[in-house]
Amino acid sequence: MTTSDRKGNRGILLLLLLPGLLALGVSFVAPLLWLLRASFSTSALGGADGSWTLANYADVVLDPFYWRVAGNTLNYGLTVAAFAVVLSYPIALFLARTTSRWRGVLTALAIAPLLTSGVVRTYGWMVILGDQGVINGTLQALSLIQTPIRLSNNFLGATIAMIEILMPYAILAMLSGFGRLNTQLEEAAAMLGANRLKVFWRIILPLSLPGVITAALLVFVLAISGFVTPRLMGGGRVFVLGTEVFQEATVTLNLPLAAALAMLLLVLFSSVIVIYRRALRALEA
Amino acid sequence: METSLPAKFAWRLLIGLLYVFLLAPIIIVFVVSFDTRQYLAFPPESLSFGSYVKVFQNADFISAFWRSLLIGAIVGLGAVTVGTLISLALTRYRFRGEGAVNFLVIAPFIVPNIVLGVGLVLVLAGFGLLDTYPGIVLAHLGITIPYTVRTVSMSLMSVDRRVEEAALVHGASPFNVFWRITLPLIRPGIIAGGVIAFLISFDETTISLFIVSVRSSTLPTEIYRYLEYSTDPQIAALSVVLILISVAVVIVLERLIGLRKAV
Amino acid sequence: MADKHVIVEQLVKTYPGSGAPSVDHVDFDLEKGEMLALLGPSGCGKTTILRMVAGLITPTSGRIRLDGRDMAEIPVHKRNMGMVFQSYALFPHMSVAENVAFGLEMRGVPKAERAARVERALDLVKLRGYGERRITQLSGGQQQRCAIARSLVIEPQLLLLDEPLSNLDAKLRDEMREEIRDIQARTGVTAIFVTHDQDEALSMADRLAVMSAGRIEQIGTPRQIFDRPATEFVANFIGAGNFLTGTVVEPHQANVPGLGMVVFGLDAPLGKDVRLLVRPHRFTLNGKGENAFEGVVRHLVYRGDTLTLDVDVKDRTFLVDLPTHAGTLPERGDRVTLTVARDDVTVIGTAA
Repeated sequence: MTTSDRKGNRGILLLLLLPGLLALGVSFVAPLLWLLRASFSTSALGGADGSWTLANYADVVLDPFYWRVAGNTLNYGLTVAAFAVVLSYPIALFLARTTSRWRGVLTALAIAPLLTSGVVRTYGWMVILGDQGVINGTLQALSLIQTPIRLSNNFLGATIAMIEILMPYAILAMLSGFGRLNTQLEEAAAMLGANRLKVFWRIILPLSLPGVITAALLVFVLAISGFVTPRLMGGGRVFVLGTEVFQEATVTLNLPLAAALAMLLLVLFSSVIVIYRRALRALEA
Repeated sequence: METSLPAKFAWRLLIGLLYVFLLAPIIIVFVVSFDTRQYLAFPPESLSFGSYVKVFQNADFISAFWRSLLIGAIVGLGAVTVGTLISLALTRYRFRGEGAVNFLVIAPFIVPNIVLGVGLVLVLAGFGLLDTYPGIVLAHLGITIPYTVRTVSMSLMSVDRRVEEAALVHGASPFNVFWRITLPLIRPGIIAGGVIAFLISFDETTISLFIVSVRSSTLPTEIYRYLEYSTDPQIAALSVVLILISVAVVIVLERLIGLRKAV
Repeated sequence: MADKHVIVEQLVKTYPGSGAPSVDHVDFDLEKGEMLALLGPSGCGKTTILRMVAGLITPTSGRIRLDGRDMAEIPVHKRNMGMVFQSYALFPHMSVAENVAFGLEMRGVPKAERAARVERALDLVKLRGYGERRITQLSGGQQQRCAIARSLVIEPQLLLLDEPLSNLDAKLRDEMREEIRDIQARTGVTAIFVTHDQDEALSMADRLAVMSAGRIEQIGTPRQIFDRPATEFVANFIGAGNFLTGTVVEPHQANVPGLGMVVFGLDAPLGKDVRLLVRPHRFTLNGKGENAFEGVVRHLVYRGDTLTLDVDVKDRTFLVDLPTHAGTLPERGDRVTLTVARDDVTVIGTAA
């Protein structure tokens, strides 16, 4: 088959595209349109009625609770992104530069957690950080503390778990962004008189920055849209946009409000992506 | 470059500690799954397979497991079929609206699942598909098609167009070129795409929690709901089973075609 | 003309969005069993022509006839041509024999006959016994042979070769030149091949078409092209040369400003300006002849079988190639007299 524009191709093209467009239409385009529509209507049994109103957005904007939720979400996303990137960077750098024959295995280990459901790993962190968990249990057994330290059912626990859950994404993003790094460049810099620190600051860091930024973006957007981890690890005390959307949609059953909150999340999401693209372009210029 | 010994040691120690952090929950889950006690505590008092036995006796888990497997298989097959067709259109033809289709297949990457979840509740409720197999399959297709399009497109782009041309010149009809040349050459991408779609569907929690309740609940949603009121070692055992299944799928994939070639 | 095996008439290809046509009103034809080289720098349109003949690209206008049949409405897979690609384009998931058998299979040739013909084709390219190998187990030269076998086994009416030797190393390239030439002679297949390598074109083709910017500058036998270049581009592209501009003052004699009278063998109209070409190896040193130029050796490079000199003659420099076995060789700074026979001075544009 060659690229061409003959008439007979129209039929084939339609055949190739139709199933996909249909599937994505129902499972992606329609949900977003319905969501947008619902965010402007009034809650009715099992969904939304046909009315037009700005009440949902007004509710969100006028309620200081949602302002706090938005602030929490931003705080949560930024904290998780910052730590995940800082903790992933050494691993990614190590994997990108090592010539060890274990490299394949170590790379697989670093991204293997992706193969494990977030729910399962969240459970792992409940075990580690819980009141009777690994850390508190150990510290108590060593008589270092009397009462358990609060590591879960709060913002701290939700943050720690989310950092670890999203680190494999950061490592992957960095690894694919580190393609331009090579040890010859470092050796060349060293030959020209740069010490290790200078090699890092002047060569490694600038070359790896695009990968770092991509990783930060990825972690941030995944963190602000998560709800399983903040809900389970937060023990009902962590309020971020994700948990509130879920709450409104499935517990309170106020779908129009959930839709409005989801739209808010989408706007936050898109603006971060726009900022990211600007940053990356500025970096490349 | 040579590095001093202490610096090298410190660097390796740092990497080691980071790995421990990264793998901690999985390791801990593994350990806890063998605990004999009925409640969560650490370290385990004595070890047994008791939790595993209980998991396999739990009818809810077993039926959710089969549902997840079935849904994952349908989603994997469906997403890779549809994705291959779209990839062919995108890489082998120029047409009006190509940019729009290109955007449509990457757009789900940049829309959070939780946002899609709310929208899917509205749409599926309209069709009466909430808490049904077709409903959850449709929902999972939306988030997996972008992945299958990506892997298959990458395979297609790595196929040397001259090879297809050579077949054409030497007498193969366009259909035969596809069937005898292109399809065998992109098979690794197709398998990888299907497996990735399966794994995503098999692990998907967020969207599923919005649109399933009892009849079509999947394993991750069962675990989530269980965790909301209990954290006993049964879940650890179940988690280990889940992890092992994912790992097994990946190993089979690796054996079959070589993962590095596929992704 | 109508009984030629291949006729290409007024072939044009203009890509949308680009101003100048990539192929600009190209005409050529081939006798049955003839080998034509399309030679030119990269981007001159030679590969585009080949791909139009194959049917992989649709011409903007013009006609391609094969054995009297207009190819315009015939799709690629029904043209019955063979093609050897630059990258060989072997099917990586098939064995050598499967690759070679592919075209026969597509033509519905029965299995037994297929096997026999594949065997013969592999024999022809000296790959006997390699049928079961994977493509990846072959060396570059072997892949090349396999690609040739694949395109010949279908007994094509026309064989197309796109830069067939450019992926081989120098030694193998020379070997394959001979071999392709030999295979072509034995099978009697009509062939068009594309190359940017003048040596390859000169040594392999019955005729060559030298191309520049989408047009054919000259078409002719290797000898015609080399000795009687139609344009300065051709003269430059094939071999090195010394160019002189003069005015024809008498028959076979031109006055070249700053050098004097130069005698040449061809006819040229009186009073007109002409461009003259002297190939570097046509000079002799300190001999006798009609054209004698005195000069000083400014620079020399020893190349084994030849010695290349830069000789300053008045205010110009001649490039001279001397055979190294020709007695005593000059040194740098030596005064020398260069002579060249009148028949070795070519007037550009007077193609024979």
